[in-house]
Amino acid sequence: MFTLNDYRIFGLNIRSKIVLPEAYEIHGIISEFDVEIELNPPQEDVQDQFTTGNYRFENGRFLFHVPETACYSITSGARISVTPYPGADEAKIRLFLLGTCMGVLLMQRGILPLHGSAVVIDGKVFAIVGESGAGKSTLAAAFAHAGYPLMTDDVIAVSLSDDSAAAAVYPSYPQQKLWEESIEQLGLLSHNYSSIYQRVNKYAVPIRSQFCREPLPLAGVVELIKASEPEPSIKAYNRFEGLHVLNVHTYRSSLLHLLNLQQWQFQSIARLASELPVYQLRRPADGFSAFNLMDRVVGLANKREVVNS
Amino acid sequence: MSADILTANELVVQSDGFLVSEMNGEKVMLSIENGKYYNLGQIGGRVWELIASPSSIQDIVNQLLTEYEIEPGACEQQVRAFLQQLKSEGLIQVRKE
Repeated sequence: MFTLNDYRIFGLNIRSKIVLPEAYEIHGIISEFDVEIELNPPQEDVQDQFTTGNYRFENGRFLFHVPETACYSITSGARISVTPYPGADEAKIRLFLLGTCMGVLLMQRGILPLHGSAVVIDGKVFAIVGESGAGKSTLAAAFAHAGYPLMTDDVIAVSLSDDSAAAAVYPSYPQQKLWEESIEQLGLLSHNYSSIYQRVNKYAVPIRSQFCREPLPLAGVVELIKASEPEPSIKAYNRFEGLHVLNVHTYRSSLLHLLNLQQWQFQSIARLASELPVYQLRRPADGFSAFNLMDRVVGLANKREVVNS
Repeated sequence: MSADILTANELVVQSDGFLVSEMNGEKVMLSIENGKYYNLGQIGGRVWELIASPSSIQDIVNQLLTEYEIEPGACEQQVRAFLQQLKSEGLIQVRKE
């Protein structure tokens, strides 16, 4: 028999047949759910319907396949159906459920997912985007360590549904992904944390106490870049550069054409780039400077930092 | 600038394959094929809208003259130069009427 578990992720009430220890549980009675997550019995041959590649879109359903793990189907931003392989690792099933599946679900609901971390400074959200290894999570960890609430550490859900209202960010789930090196530099001890599946030396850090649970307005986007200069520097992008930054850091942007949502995504990022400041923050490759970088971002938020474009 | 673009009996129309939006009143586009961005500006964006269906240069100029304070000769000259740019970037197709 299945158990039902109720969670709130990205502002959505989710009823799941899969237990999600990462997410906030809803306590109390909810009559309406935005999303249902279904779990089918394990199946040996789930890959048979994927003849070309691991992604398909048909009849409003987005299907994708992760070898040795599961096949996922996402429909109308309201239903996720998971068919695992026999004996598949549960943590790995959840990794793709909370990652790619939720990203596609958000796009189907008209919520723009960006890839990165988001922090709250004086009630306003700053999104931190950047390439893998740029230091997004480490910077977010410095914020959490200094007492600033976090919104997310992987998928930034930006709601633009109301044309007249400011863009808002919805909280994801209270977990941070940190590299071992970063944990040591921040003075946390890595053996206290569980390793995320198949990501050697990357650890899941529970951050419930430092996690924001309400949507808040998005005030700016910071692209973090690992550079060879000895000192960190910051500049404001013009709105066309900002448009490009938002395009590059849209979560799972390679799936937009399959979902037939490229035009919607372009309009969404154009609106964000005209309404919000987008900054470039360059940090030295060597020498740990997360708290220093954090001060620069706080300076931006408080308009203390003087920025040239 | 080559003079052979757009004789009176030629029509121009938008090419396919661009994502289109607006930023602060200016038309911005992204080529799906090569990832290049284009900013057509405000009036350029209006010209882009006018060539959603095949139009002659005279159609475009006549319409702009009703919407903007501009002298007909100058208008045609600027539209011609603009379309030449769009053509060289592959943003428009030119057809015989």
